[in-house]
Formats: sequence, C-alpha cells, structure tokens
Amino acid sequence: MKLAVAITIVSLAAFAHAGDLSGKTAASGGAAVVYVEKIAGKTFPAPAQHFSIDQRSLMFQPHVLVVPAGSTVDFVNSDTVAHNVFWPGVSGNRKLSHNLGTWPQGEKKSFTFDSPGVVTLLCNVHPEMSAYIVVSPTPYYAQADAGGNYAIHNIPDGNYTVTVWHEGGKPASKTVAVSGSTKLDL
Amino acid sequence: MRRVLTPFVLAAFAVIVFAPSKSLAIPAFSRQYQTSCSTCHLDFPKLNDFGKAFKDAGFKFPKDDQAFLKVPPVMLGAPAQKQMWPNVIWPGTIPGMPPIGLRMNNFFQASSTNANRFSQLQPAGTPPGTVGGFPFVPRTDFESGFFSIFTAGNFGSDIAFWVDDDISVSGDNSAGGLGDGYLKFVNLSRFLKLPDNAIALRAGRFELDLPFTQARSINISPYDIYSEANIGAMNSLIPMQQFVNNQFGLANVANGAEVSGGHLYGGYHYSVAVVNQNTSAISQSANTSMFFPSATGGANGGVGFASDANFKDIYSRFSYRINLERDSASRNAVQAAGATGPRDHTYINFGTFYYYGRSVQRLSGVLSNGTTPAVITGREPFYRLGGDFSFNYRTFNLFGLYMYGHDRNLLPIDAAGNLIVLPITSSSALPAGFLSARSATFDGGFVQADFLVHPWIMLIGRWDAVNSSADRINGLALAQNTSFPVPFHSMRNRYTPGVQFLIHANIKASFEYQIRPQQSVTFVTGAGGLPVALAPFRSNAATAALEFVY
Repeated sequence: MKLAVAITIVSLAAFAHAGDLSGKTAASGGAAVVYVEKIAGKTFPAPAQHFSIDQRSLMFQPHVLVVPAGSTVDFVNSDTVAHNVFWPGVSGNRKLSHNLGTWPQGEKKSFTFDSPGVVTLLCNVHPEMSAYIVVSPTPYYAQADAGGNYAIHNIPDGNYTVTVWHEGGKPASKTVAVSGSTKLDL
Repeated sequence: MRRVLTPFVLAAFAVIVFAPSKSLAIPAFSRQYQTSCSTCHLDFPKLNDFGKAFKDAGFKFPKDDQAFLKVPPVMLGAPAQKQMWPNVIWPGTIPGMPPIGLRMNNFFQASSTNANRFSQLQPAGTPPGTVGGFPFVPRTDFESGFFSIFTAGNFGSDIAFWVDDDISVSGDNSAGGLGDGYLKFVNLSRFLKLPDNAIALRAGRFELDLPFTQARSINISPYDIYSEANIGAMNSLIPMQQFVNNQFGLANVANGAEVSGGHLYGGYHYSVAVVNQNTSAISQSANTSMFFPSATGGANGGVGFASDANFKDIYSRFSYRINLERDSASRNAVQAAGATGPRDHTYINFGTFYYYGRSVQRLSGVLSNGTTPAVITGREPFYRLGGDFSFNYRTFNLFGLYMYGHDRNLLPIDAAGNLIVLPITSSSALPAGFLSARSATFDGGFVQADFLVHPWIMLIGRWDAVNSSADRINGLALAQNTSFPVPFHSMRNRYTPGVQFLIHANIKASFEYQIRPQQSVTFVTGAGGLPVALAPFRSNAATAALEFVY
C-alpha cells in the first residue's frame, strides 16, 4: 500500500514537470527519427520489452526501428529462404560490427543494443535488403510520420540536444529548452 | 590481404579493355522479385545453390513463391475456374511485367606476335586475306560481341518457359540466332504420386543437360571438348584413312524433348532426351522441300526441317551430389547454414553422360553392278561417353569432365570392292558401298578451378585437352604435303588462367589468357638427322571482355 502511494506521488510529480516536444522535420526521402541525446548525469534502465524485426518477402520489416539503448531486438525469419543479419558497424564505428549468422524459418535470434547510434542491418545473401535500428541514448524519441511530423511525449522540462536522423541523410542536432509543450522544427 | 589485392585489382583493370562472353543471367527475375542477381548467381551466370533450386522449381522460389513476387502475376482465369475444368480452360498466369532481359558484350584480344606464321602453309607469295589464303591475324583487335534478348519465367501450374536469342553477333549486319526456346513442365511426378520433382518434361530447343553448361558458362572461351566434332580427313598420303563427317558437338543446341528429375543442389539428378539428328549441321531454313511442307510450309516462307536423317539421337545423364555438412537440416536445405550466413554447400558431385546417334553420309554412286546410279548412304553410329565431378568448399569450386568420342568409320569402296582413295574427286571410281575400318575416336576434357576471392572477384584456372585422330589427320592434310606434323595436343591443349570482376552485380569485366604449346609449320633435318623446327609460333591469345545485362 505504501509502495503504491509512493509510486503515485512520484508519477504525479513527474507528470507535473513533463512536457511534449513536437515539430516538423525537413527530412525527405526516408523515415525520420528524432531523439534526445544523452543527458548528463542521467541514466535510464534498459526496457524489459523486446523489440522485433522480421525478415519477410526478402525485406526487413519494419524498415526503420527506433529503440532506447539497452533494448533487446528479436530478429525473426519468416521467409522460406535462408537469411542472415549483420551490421558493419554502429554509426560508422566498425568495432561494433556483428554477424548473427543463420537461422531457419520461424526461429529468431536476439541481440541487445547497448551502444547508441544508427545500426544498418544487411543480409549477406540478399544484398538488396537493408533496414535501420536507431538506438536512442534516452527513452525520449519518436518516429516522424509520412508528413515529417513528430512528437516526443513526457520529456521533463530542461535543456536538451535533439537529433534528427533520416535514411540517406546525416544526423543533425539542435539544442532546445523544453518547458511544457514545446515546438521545434528540425 | 587488402594491400596485396589493391595493386592486383588495379593492374587487372588496367589490362582489361572490355567485354564478356556468350553467357546469360536473368534480370527479369531481379525485377519481378526485386532482388539482386547475386541471390541466384555467384559470378553471373554461374548459379549458386539457391539459383539451382530456383531453376529446378521452374524459375520459381522453391517454396511460397507468391510471397516473394513483388510484381503480382496476371491471372489468366480465376483459380476457382479449376473446379469447372474440363468445361473451361485451366487457369494460368503470365508474369506481371514482360520478363525481358538484355545482354551486350564486347571483346578485346591480343594475339601472339608470331601467330601469322601459320600462313607458311599456303603457297609462297600468297598474301594473307586473299581467297584461299589464310586470314591476317592482327596483334590486337577490338571485337563486337553479342547483343541478346532473353526471357524466362513461369506460367503457373508449374509450367516454366525460356527463350533467348542473339539479335546480332559480331556487329553490323550479322544476324544472330535463336538459342534455347522451350517449355518445361515441372514436377509432373505429383500426378503419379511420386516424390516431388521426380519427373519434369522439357520440350523445344535447348542445350543438352550437360554436366557444366556451355551456353551459360562464365568463361570467355568455350570448352574445347564440347565443340569437338569428329570430321575425319580424306588424305591419301597417310595410311590412317578416315571417312567421317560428323559435325555434332556436345554443346550444340538440340531440338527435342527431355525427361528429367531430381535436384541440382543435392541428391540425384537425371535426364533422358530424344533429339533431332543433324550431323551434317544443315541449317533449318535451308532444308526445305518444294513438294512436302514442313511444320509451317518451309517452301513458302515458313520453317524448314531441322533433321538430316530419320534417326533420333538419345542423350542421358545421371549425377549424384553429396552435401557434406554434418548437420542434417543444413545438409538437406537448399543452402547450408554457415556461421556467418547461408552459403553454398560443401559438396562432391559425380556424374556420367552418354550420347548416341548415327551420322549419315550420302554419296552419289552406283549399285553393285557398277553402272546403275544410286545414292549410297553410309550410317555411322557414334557415341559420346563421359564422366564428371565437382567439388565445392565454400567459395572454391573444382570441377572437371572427361569424354570419349567414338564414330564408326566407313570407307567407300567401288563396285569391285576396292577402297577408293580419299578424298573422292571427279576422277575417283564411283562408290558402291562401304567397308568398316578402324573407328575415328577422340577423347579429352577439362579441369577448372573457380575461386571467389571476394563476392566480386573470381579467379579461374582451367586446363583443356582434346586428343583426336581426326584432328591429326586434318593437320596433315592442311599441311599440303609439307612436313607439318600437327602434334596431338597442338591446337586443343591449353591452360587458361583468368580473372573476372563484378563491377556491379550486372556488369562484369573478364580477362583470360590462353596458353598453348609451341608449333611450327616448317621443319628441316638438322645435325644427326633430327628434325628442327623453323619459325616456331604460338597461338596464345589474351582476351578481355566487358558484359552487362539489364
């Protein structure tokens, strides 16, 4: 009972100081992802929830996935042909390259992404296949819609660096002071 | 490794001036499935294990094909119409877009500096290139290759099709010709409740089910043994008389029907084909009758007859491939489960093949009375028998083939039973029959090693050899009474290293160097009475090719 009361109080307090960050991205040609960069002095627990990327009809689905750092992604093969998943690095850091190998239809392999950055997924038997996992350093992120609109909810008030990434472009960052509902076009 | 490769690659590119051989890949499939050429090809047109399974399945994904098609097929009748058959046409499909691919290539060749010494065989003072003389062989030469169209796919109900045609060959005003054109009814075994893919039927015009394809080979130059015809010379100067004129080459395109089964990516595979006899290589369009129509009336602008004899030849092949992965699931799958991704199996494949036909020669002669004019027909049965192997480890493939050719050799005799001195001339006695003589035989084959250093670099080492009694006799005849001793291995024994680069998955630069033994057309007797070769030469050739398909 005491615990429930404490959680309620903390939640209400957090809600009282949280706002929304929304706006429009100028990114074109691919799905855009907006996220808040690392906040000094703050760490976030890894989510217990697993994310998933499927290989179906010779395509990664979804094509872009954004997850918070520490997330585990399950890679599923739903095709009747053999697939592979590997990435040559994370945001250009080749030391973080990895190859998950081969697994048959219906099975999955999991990987936990601890390092923030953009992971380009490839299949070494179907070179036309690609997908992206954007590993956000904070749990404050959003994926823009087809019109480029985004909204990140429940961001505590404060000053942040916000980055936008979209396929085919370079990440661009801006600083913003969030106070309640804040607008920021990127 | 990269430091070693970089200058090597740059040097190779510097040497290559361009253009590939007669080989095919299918961009139409790339479009339909929106997948790369490398899904099915290692170094196009060489198939990987998935490509072999795709071909086995009738140009479809082996399982769940519809899920992979990005361009849905056009229905030629709702599937539910099947319930109404035979009152309706069985519903089929056609590809959602025209499954057309195009190919173009060009070549550059450099020949040995002394290649023209072959012209010493012609009378002294004869300029090269004149009628009856030998052509002049340039040191270097840019050559137009093939511009081809090809289309393939599946019409539903497991009926596959393939057509390829060389629209032009060798540049201006040089018409090409039809390559393969067939329908293949895949997996007929399902009607007989036999194992899947145990029986398929192919009908039309096709390359025989060769152990290693020639029409879709990655090599610039063809395998010598595949093009070896058995044409015995008619040379009165030597005791080894031959009278065979069999133009058949194993890689010749054939018209007929074929039953096949099994898989190319594991286990057994067989085929039995019945094909036209055409050992005189008469062209279909030239073989017409004023009085008897061919399929569409050959004498009136239609096609002519493709055969030059009543006999139908038989070709058969059987092979068995053992995949060597320890894990049974991986071993039996289309592709093996490698540590870093699916890959071709490690395997060993053994096969055998047999071709039987009857070469026909028809002579203007007389009956045994020596006076009554008659057509004297000599039927010379022949066979080609061989075996092959292929070993694959990751991206290294070693394979080879041996073939023995045997033609019955019938020498013409006159009405008195005497052998007619060959060659037959206007002053020769008229033939009245034949006498069986020592058979005309040849044997040979090739061994090749392919190593895919990177997914875009293929190293090739290849050795070809053909030992032919007919070739030797022909060489002597060609010598025009000189002492030109064509060695058994002179023209058809070569080592051919090569390298190929995929600039893109559909653009390839290739290079090969054909190294042949030294020859000489003129000999003198030297000290000790031994022959000494004068003006020796080699017919080596370096060829570069650039090919693109789209």
